[in-house]
Amino acid sequence: MSRSALFAVALLVAPAPVYAVDYTQASGSSLAFAGSYQGETFTGRFPGFVTHLVFDPAQLGASKLDVTIPLASATTANADYDEQMRGDAFFDAARFAQARYTATQFRALGGNRYAADGTLSLHGVTKPVTLTFTWTSGAQPVLEGKATVNRLDFGIGGGDWADTSLIPNAIAVSAKVVFQPAK
Amino acid sequence: MTLRNSNERWGPVSQALHWLIVILVLVMAYLGLTMVDLPTTPHKIFVYMLHKSVGITILVLVVLRLAWRLYAGTPGTLPGIPTWQSRIASLMHAALYVLLFALPISGWVVNSSTGFPLRWFNMLNLPAIAAKSESLHGIATKVHETLFWTLIVLALGHAAAAIYHHLFQRDETLARMLPRNWLRVPSTSGNHPHV
Repeated sequence: MSRSALFAVALLVAPAPVYAVDYTQASGSSLAFAGSYQGETFTGRFPGFVTHLVFDPAQLGASKLDVTIPLASATTANADYDEQMRGDAFFDAARFAQARYTATQFRALGGNRYAADGTLSLHGVTKPVTLTFTWTSGAQPVLEGKATVNRLDFGIGGGDWADTSLIPNAIAVSAKVVFQPAK
Repeated sequence: MTLRNSNERWGPVSQALHWLIVILVLVMAYLGLTMVDLPTTPHKIFVYMLHKSVGITILVLVVLRLAWRLYAGTPGTLPGIPTWQSRIASLMHAALYVLLFALPISGWVVNSSTGFPLRWFNMLNLPAIAAKSESLHGIATKVHETLFWTLIVLALGHAAAAIYHHLFQRDETLARMLPRNWLRVPSTSGNHPHV
């Protein structure tokens, strides 16, 4: 066989190369959190978070997620809460200006549902956190995900503030990220 | 012995409510005056929770007290007390009741305007009665403080009048708000039966 014939066969036998698409965050994205204080729910947002994603449902092995979350601007819309939350008893945003979530391990959960087994670096602590999400493909794909972060694992509100009857350990994090292909 | 109020004396229910509220107001004054300057820790939150919880409790007790007063009646004016004095006393009592309502309610507004939870003795979350608002918070705090100092001044006047009546007028004003025989009314004339 000639070289060109070999190449043609190789093209037929090899799986079609699919490249996971490189995405950046588009407008309309939000990263929110919710917990409870003295028996009442509070919610907040992380404005200014930045997401970078390489994702292809058909090539989860090549996918990766990287989210940077500034903490000094985290807000619950209650000035008293915010001051306390950003202060040294909680985020200590003066020392730990941002949190980072990265994931390279993805699992398909059926349908358009996936899980990312990533790690969260927050307040000087790095621990595994799983993000489950739905992926809506399109020209601007949308990731809608949820994760639970146990604040005490990261030393958020330690010491006297560790009292979970005042602020329970589990903080619910929810993300809606709209993507556009990176240029 | 009847629980109700007779024409001569306050009954045990009215007495218990009166003195319980006296004690709780003193506790509130202590908590309220010391809690503000505490460092922001869960201890401060606990003290605030106590202050708010006792305040709500006083509000409920005052409602009960007035309801009981309506049901059980009030003792008559003591003999020998001039009309102008009993009028002033009635005005004083009305003002104290108004303050005992207004103080907890203004405190509730203060709390609501900050958006903080109100968890009664860490057991029961009560709703906000006003919108979260910084300007409202400023006004309500001023009102709450002013009402507090007004209550202190009036309560001191009320107590001073009762003690004056007991020591100098030597009448039953104070003794009839206490269990029988707790206070002997010092009598000047020998023909008083209870010396």
